[in-house]
Amino acid sequence: MNNILIYLVVVPLATAFLIPFVDIFSNKARKILVGFSALFEFSIGMYIITDNYAAITEHTFFLKYYLGNWIPPIGITLSMDMLSLFFSTLISISLLFIITYSIGFIGHHEGKYYVLLFLIWAAMHGIILTGDIFNLDVFLELMLITSAPLVAFKRDRNGTEAAIKYMFFGAIGGLFIFIGVVLVYFNLGTLNFADIAQSFSLLPLFIKKMIIIFFLIGIFIKLGIFPFHFWLSKAHSACPSSISALLSGVIVKVYIYVFIRLFFNVFGFDILRETGLDIIIIVIALTSSILGHVLALSENDIKRMLAYSTVANLGIIVAVLTLNTRLAILAGLLHVMAHLLMKVSLFTATGYLLQFTPSHKLQDLKGVAYKNIILFAGFTLTAAGMVGFPPMIGFFSKWHILQAFLDRSFHWGSITVILGSIIAFFYYIKYIIYGFKTISIGPPERFRLILSVFYRERVVTNIAILFAIAVVVVGVFFKLSYGPIEGAANAIMDPSIYIESILGG
Amino acid sequence: MINHIVFIFIFLLGFYAILVKKSLIKMVIGLNIMEGAIFYWFIAITDRGGIIPIVQSTQVAFNLNDPIPQALILTGIVIGASTSAFLLTLIIELNKFTDSTNPDQLGGMIED
Repeated sequence: MNNILIYLVVVPLATAFLIPFVDIFSNKARKILVGFSALFEFSIGMYIITDNYAAITEHTFFLKYYLGNWIPPIGITLSMDMLSLFFSTLISISLLFIITYSIGFIGHHEGKYYVLLFLIWAAMHGIILTGDIFNLDVFLELMLITSAPLVAFKRDRNGTEAAIKYMFFGAIGGLFIFIGVVLVYFNLGTLNFADIAQSFSLLPLFIKKMIIIFFLIGIFIKLGIFPFHFWLSKAHSACPSSISALLSGVIVKVYIYVFIRLFFNVFGFDILRETGLDIIIIVIALTSSILGHVLALSENDIKRMLAYSTVANLGIIVAVLTLNTRLAILAGLLHVMAHLLMKVSLFTATGYLLQFTPSHKLQDLKGVAYKNIILFAGFTLTAAGMVGFPPMIGFFSKWHILQAFLDRSFHWGSITVILGSIIAFFYYIKYIIYGFKTISIGPPERFRLILSVFYRERVVTNIAILFAIAVVVVGVFFKLSYGPIEGAANAIMDPSIYIESILGG
Repeated sequence: MINHIVFIFIFLLGFYAILVKKSLIKMVIGLNIMEGAIFYWFIAITDRGGIIPIVQSTQVAFNLNDPIPQALILTGIVIGASTSAFLLTLIIELNKFTDSTNPDQLGGMIED
């Protein structure tokens, strides 16, 4: 029993409901509240780490909290094992910096913006901590409904269309997950993860297949894996860049967490192997990866290019996780971290650079590097990391992924990774070359600063540069992240730890 | 068995509306039909024909209907209502920029 877990969900939730009331009285109080709550939530996460440091280094870390003191399988259990801790830490760190970035970046309707942002934070922690399959579905829907207004945040035609699309596909994905929940409850009479995991293998094969397929379709729609990739680029590019960073960097990682938790811990990987679905998932995910890279190459718009690159990288992550060897899961988790850092870095830098251009188009980015050469250097470094050049974290995660594919002698996977990196090189270099092109014609008025959405340049540039530095530094010292990632991999590989820790007192 | 067949039929009806209808509002209705199908199905398959909770403590509590599906569906209805309310709000917002609610004229749902 540890009631600190509930604060991870309650603090952002309470902040979200407090902000409108504080906003009535003064703007300044709201800013202080936002900053304080973000720091507070972040420090709760840090407190959990320092408080259980010994357990974390020994990989025996496990916290749980029974809501309303109902002992499982009745009631909702919040729990945090190494896997949840890994994702929770990544989310807390990136959201703290995204909120700081937003303070400089968003100049209108700030009150509403932070309400939604904190609700998303609460929903993400809810998804990561919950041990109840229906609760998971509710938090997924909460995350969808709170992130859709942010997609439409610019209040232009493109953003509204994107949000409608995002809502439709998200809601349909949610319905498929709900059907899965109904089937689970009807057949097993329980909603608790650990309880499901214990008795799932006893079900008839047909029912097991149905449940797995409904959950897979739901998660793949929400993740934007190949047959459903079409909505993602528009939704992830129509919003302000801080939200693009959130959607493309962080929220998709939460869906990856759901994928891991459900298919490795709850339903067990054996069912995927029994039905031969794992090969199908790998093939679909690899197709998605190649398609994402090709679409990114054909794209002429920097934010849409980055969004398609997300499709490509998610494909790789899902494919490598589904290989289900120790090395593959390590590589997958490493790439989750790498892609989160790099995508947030790229989008934050892009958000700054786009303030000087008339549109998101490649041609308009001419000479944008000279506006802030340090920030553009950071952008270049991160893009190089995305392609897979050595000092950056992207190289090490891709290296591990390649090793994982070679280890299982799944050569199509290795070919896809290498081919994807080569294509990625071409589409990133295109933007970097254009960035360094000097403008020979055209008066300087061509650069207009959109002051309405951008008024604290210092904050924005510092955060963007900070993320670029993080990409390099984490890359150089990536061995330090091995400990927690190995702990998370243990939690994935051995579902019995999770089941026993929840049900066994 | 009839429950499953009716469920699949209504669910596909809603799906048909989303795929084929050329109006965003009709597509929202389709989404609601799909949701309604799931709610109906969940209630129907978990019905044991027993007493409906909450029972008084003096009554003998046997042959009860399971109350959990009802709780889940209430939550589901709330989620569905907020989803469609927000979708309709977005469609009203879209009305500022264009008179059409035809998804094909709005960049398409699948393309892009």
